[in-house]
Amino acid sequence: MNSGITDLRHEALVYDGLDEYVSRAVAFLREGLRRGEGAVVAHTRGGLAVVREALGDDADAVTLVDVGAVYTRPARTLAAYHAVYADQLARTPALRAVADVQFGPDPGEWDLWTAYEAVFNESFAHLPAWVVCTYDGQRLPDDIRDAVWRTHPSVATAAGSRASEHYEEPRALLRRVAPSPPPVERLRSIGFGRDVEDFRERLAGELAAAGVPERRSLDMLFAATEIAANAVHHGGGVRDVRVGHAAGRFACEIVDAGLGFDDPAAGYLAPRDGAGSGLWIARQLTWQLDFLHTPAGFTARLVL
Amino acid sequence: MTGAAWLTPEQERELVVATEAGDLEASRRLVEVFLPSIAAHARRYSTGLGVQRQELLQEGVAGLLFAARRYDPRLGTPFWAYASYWVRKAMQDLVAELTMPIALSDRAVRGLTSIRAARHEHLARHRTEPTTDQLAEATGFTRDQLERLQAAARTPRSPEDGAVVDQVRDTHAEHAFEQVLDAIEVGEVRSLTDRLAERERAVLLAHYGLGAPAQTLQQIGQSLGLTAERARQIESAALGKLRVALARPAPVRGSPNA
Repeated sequence: MNSGITDLRHEALVYDGLDEYVSRAVAFLREGLRRGEGAVVAHTRGGLAVVREALGDDADAVTLVDVGAVYTRPARTLAAYHAVYADQLARTPALRAVADVQFGPDPGEWDLWTAYEAVFNESFAHLPAWVVCTYDGQRLPDDIRDAVWRTHPSVATAAGSRASEHYEEPRALLRRVAPSPPPVERLRSIGFGRDVEDFRERLAGELAAAGVPERRSLDMLFAATEIAANAVHHGGGVRDVRVGHAAGRFACEIVDAGLGFDDPAAGYLAPRDGAGSGLWIARQLTWQLDFLHTPAGFTARLVL
Repeated sequence: MTGAAWLTPEQERELVVATEAGDLEASRRLVEVFLPSIAAHARRYSTGLGVQRQELLQEGVAGLLFAARRYDPRLGTPFWAYASYWVRKAMQDLVAELTMPIALSDRAVRGLTSIRAARHEHLARHRTEPTTDQLAEATGFTRDQLERLQAAARTPRSPEDGAVVDQVRDTHAEHAFEQVLDAIEVGEVRSLTDRLAERERAVLLAHYGLGAPAQTLQQIGQSLGLTAERARQIESAALGKLRVALARPAPVRGSPNA
């Protein structure tokens, strides 16, 4: 039987107890396997153990992914899922995934993960994937329950599955909940130099002077190279580079001579044919990446 | 329990941010500071559940370090108030996964320990669950032995059953601390540079002074028996390779990558 999945279908399941979760997840995945689709379960290890047991002999055909340590920053979480989906789609023409969302204890960060769920719709829009995000309805704070309906085009509950009348256009939601960029401290100009290699050498010197560990220095060098390349190719060249600290972290600003852009999903769209991936890379390698229109020019601020 | 009453909020923030930034010494210090709080959480679980205290502590330390990677000090929440949730969750998850039958022989327990170790190793390396065949290869058990051992370990228990209040100094704490930090060091090696060939890595690290004073391409070329231009080409290829690795599109039917 052929799969009918041609692009992203992003749904939520608010389940009422583990039994409901397991029975619905397993039925959903088995239906996909019957159609020749790949199957992915993303959960913490305890959840995976339960699903694996319920799948029985089918477990061998299902990719089980431990996401206990994946939900650190939205861009990194998207990249982790993208890698799993890419591997799966190399083997099957489409996939079904059941992913348990780790929203965490602090209401102050729920907007961040709501934004993640919203941008997921755009990030993976081109993939033949039916992804069901699962939420334990017995432990779900009201704010997150509300966000589930705003970020998933359809939601399944014990009462059935239906289109969400509260679904928000992802970019509109991102603009509404976007965190403010961290305040910067003591930024100073180091200039761009002759070329991108000279720029990296200057930046490397600053990273070493700031005591940034070797591995993270390379992350910043690579991320900043991608941003600088964008500035050169699309932003009319680099006008200035500034470095310093933001909220205790190493920060680098790259100011270009172009008009810039205003896209809250920039850097969150998974790589695809015909689209640049420099911002996707830069987001993965940094703590935060902001784009600002400032008097000095369009500015990308990378915070490590 | 406040976690680290002897740290000022500023010191705590610096330690957490440095840990997230990959500073291993900061990671060690952070774990050292919060280990008593982690151990206090671990004591809430009965060793009669079949979960070793050292495993609980390791999970707790992993939970703490995960919290450090996710924690945003700008939220204003004290770190331990935030991290204790992830420490507890990590322990609960371990217990949920490794709940034991009523009686396992010592030999079975040792077997399960080696299976868990092999599984953790595989997860750390590949970020996916190992197949039964992969576990069999790593542990030396047959598929049948593996399945029987794993089935025996799946009888659920409540973590609250028979909670033990343990006031004795935790002799496993030091081991948990070292083992998890060893794992971090392994993780550090598997960073961007781990995707590169040895010569590519050597050129990049030397040119940008990562771990040693920076050298010019001319100097690097001389030390490797290459021209400066060849060293530049190697660096350029290395960056291109990293770019491809981080931005590989998923294959989609009808696209050139499919």
